[in-house]
Amino acid sequence: MLKSTVVLIILSLCVGAAVWLVFIWAVRRGEFDDMEGPKYRMLDDDPDREKEIRKQPHDP
Amino acid sequence: MADLGSSCDHCALPIPPADLVVDEIDGIPWEFCCHGCRGAFRIINGAGLGDFYQRRSWDEPGTPHGSFSGEESFDDAFLSRYTVPADHGMEITLLVEGVRCASCVWLVERYLRGLPGIAEARLNYATHRLRVRFDPRQTTPSQLCHALNRIGYPPRPWTEDATQAAMEKERRALLIRFGTALFLSMQLMGYSLALYAGYFQGMDPEAKHLLQLLAGAVATPVVFFAGWPFLRGAWRSLLRGTAGMDLLVATGVLAAFGASLHGLATGGEVYFDTAAMIVTLILSGRLFEMAARRRAVGGVDRLLHLTPESAWRLGDGKPVRVAATSLSPGDRILVKPGERFPVDGRIAEGETEVDEAAVTGEPLPAVRGPDSAIAGGTLNLSASVTMVAASDSRNSFAARIARLVEDAQNRKAPIQRLADRIAAVFIPLVLALAGGTWLFWRLHPDPGVSPLLAGVTVLVIACPCALGLATPTAVLVASGAGAARGILFRGGDVLETAGRLTLAAYDKTGTLTEGRPEVISVEAVSGTEDDLLRLAAKAAAGSGHPLAVGILAAAKGRGLAIDPPGAVRGFPGLGLERLSTTGILRIGNADWFESLGIHVPDRTAPGHQTEVLVATDDKFRGCLLLADRLRPEAASVIERLRRLGLRPVLLTGDREDAAAALAGPTGIDEVRARLTPAEKTAWIDAARQRGERVLMVGDGINDAPALATADVGCAMAGGTDIALETSDLVLTRPSLEGLFEGIDLARRTLRIIRQNLFWAFAYNLCALPLAAAGLLEPIYAAAAMAASSVCVIGNSLRLAARPRRNSQILARKSSLTRIKVS
Repeated sequence: MLKSTVVLIILSLCVGAAVWLVFIWAVRRGEFDDMEGPKYRMLDDDPDREKEIRKQPHDP
Repeated sequence: MADLGSSCDHCALPIPPADLVVDEIDGIPWEFCCHGCRGAFRIINGAGLGDFYQRRSWDEPGTPHGSFSGEESFDDAFLSRYTVPADHGMEITLLVEGVRCASCVWLVERYLRGLPGIAEARLNYATHRLRVRFDPRQTTPSQLCHALNRIGYPPRPWTEDATQAAMEKERRALLIRFGTALFLSMQLMGYSLALYAGYFQGMDPEAKHLLQLLAGAVATPVVFFAGWPFLRGAWRSLLRGTAGMDLLVATGVLAAFGASLHGLATGGEVYFDTAAMIVTLILSGRLFEMAARRRAVGGVDRLLHLTPESAWRLGDGKPVRVAATSLSPGDRILVKPGERFPVDGRIAEGETEVDEAAVTGEPLPAVRGPDSAIAGGTLNLSASVTMVAASDSRNSFAARIARLVEDAQNRKAPIQRLADRIAAVFIPLVLALAGGTWLFWRLHPDPGVSPLLAGVTVLVIACPCALGLATPTAVLVASGAGAARGILFRGGDVLETAGRLTLAAYDKTGTLTEGRPEVISVEAVSGTEDDLLRLAAKAAAGSGHPLAVGILAAAKGRGLAIDPPGAVRGFPGLGLERLSTTGILRIGNADWFESLGIHVPDRTAPGHQTEVLVATDDKFRGCLLLADRLRPEAASVIERLRRLGLRPVLLTGDREDAAAALAGPTGIDEVRARLTPAEKTAWIDAARQRGERVLMVGDGINDAPALATADVGCAMAGGTDIALETSDLVLTRPSLEGLFEGIDLARRTLRIIRQNLFWAFAYNLCALPLAAAGLLEPIYAAAAMAASSVCVIGNSLRLAARPRRNSQILARKSSLTRIKVS
């Protein structure tokens, strides 16, 4: 019982550490430098997708 | 639908009837205020980005100064210093003006990506920095700048300076510390919850010990890595012998950590979660504070011109563009109309009018001919001249003022922050209480109470982690609310100081007045006023002189049709002359007219106003009176600030009568006229010696030392760079209304901070007696901490409640556009 708990805890620490490393990488890369823009950017349509839609014929 | 009061379909400004440009695109008539707006609208629609007009949400209409003009654009030789090689091409970073909403970001990025040779364009909404990767074989940086300028977003090259780079590095380091603390605290919370459950329901000692060990293992990096800034700060304040916030935090954290280690060794309870929680919450407070500061500093940086000013050096007769910093005494420099003189010097060839407002505060230009002295930073208005540099850029007038400012800033005592002051009183108290508790239980032994643990518990519970949130959250919310209204506070201490002001010193030109002459009366000898104004405007068209601009604005305001600029000759300091088939039209001053032999009848004395006479051939037609108009909101703002306890004083370099004429209508009783920049500074210094807390409002270079000396310096956008640089409070909209709102917001912030400090302490003070009595369970400490933090954050958010914004015009406008489109 205690043994399996220890294994699970160590596993959770490993997963957590992986996420933490990703976070450090993201900060170093400057992903957190613009905290305002991304929330609006996600509302924009993808330009490539837009072009595809335009290319398709309108009449059925 | 060319009705009166319509607004431009591109920039949303109201269109003066005389300027209306109508353009038909796809059968729909669109209205514009100028050809530049029309061009931008056509480009944007042509690129298939017309959606921009429906999605944008601008708080203020208009396009930035310098949009659409090709002249401001940079040449490739100049820009090549800013381009760096990147994957598949070159990269350049530009600072873009005019970005007001997320749709501007969308438009700029989308438009650039549609141009040939642009691989990638990313515009940072928060910093207005645009990074473009392009293929140098297909496009050049100057084409890029030109394209941006044409759609109304004038760019300029951006380089990171050392202080900005350091600040960015610090922010990232803090973010990493906070992220680490948060991640480990979350892990810790799992173990702590299990331990709490075990505390109440009973737990296998072996499992308990294991969980305590794990909790200790994850808490250690939180305390010693994430909490390092506090430990270092506490050590420094110990060395200095002063008690501050950092010392209080470090005491609490180390006490909790030490007690937990003791508990771990002896089989008692652990408080690791308390130690980690204090560090995490206070780090988040620091992060908030930094975000607020970054917002303000970024806003001011955007207003400043970051490019090194360039100048035209005349080498072998051919002008070469060089950086102003590379000029040395004796260089011959060509200065074109509309450019600023890069350094101090003398005019060698030519005669021109110079706008010296930035240096002297005098709004009307002065005539400077060969051998006249020129101060660096003044603006050449009418003609190209050659000057000989007398100093290098490090010793120019502007640089000397900058040194005066630096001195003033160094002299200014650092403001001790409220939380620090409280901590200074609190720490000895807490230490005494903890010592007392330990001593009491030592002398009155009780089997249920461990003396050491009780003392340590007092230390832990007395460290309010909400204290670390009290000031930063309030400052963050207030600076956000301020930025939305065009008010930038450069740092949280400014909000605190601004709440305690007692005296408000105002500059005159450009601060209380609008800084540009307006026509206030038209006196025609024969014919109507409109006829005279139309004549004057005909001669004034095309001139950059402030009086001419004022006359043109008046003519446009009355809806008069203005002839295109023709063969106009300027006589610096005298007037303008326009030759046409019907005769000679002249506008100018009385001296000029007398010397020309034009008979001018007696008129009333102009007083502090400026008169412009009009004549056709030899016949006097009438005169116009112009004056620098008081800002319409000035009197009411001054009165409202007086009611907040800020006594107004007028400090000006102008003449007494001009100052008095302004003091009357604004209700200022104390006037100091004919002051030099140094005298203004001395006056403010003297007032501060008397114990007054001084607010200085100004905008010119001449105000810069005074702005830096005052407790709070407030500059308005449109003022000179150095004035913005030295002020603590910057109004980004040309209205004094923001000054009152800013001071009011600061007062409310100070009140909220005080309430926050109360909430931060209230819970802990209640828990202190329990801790001293040795009755406190760890769970109460956690509950007190969470409750006080929630109260503090909730209370700070009340500052975000803001009055209705004045975006109705734009809302109406966008609905109109939508109807037209559909």
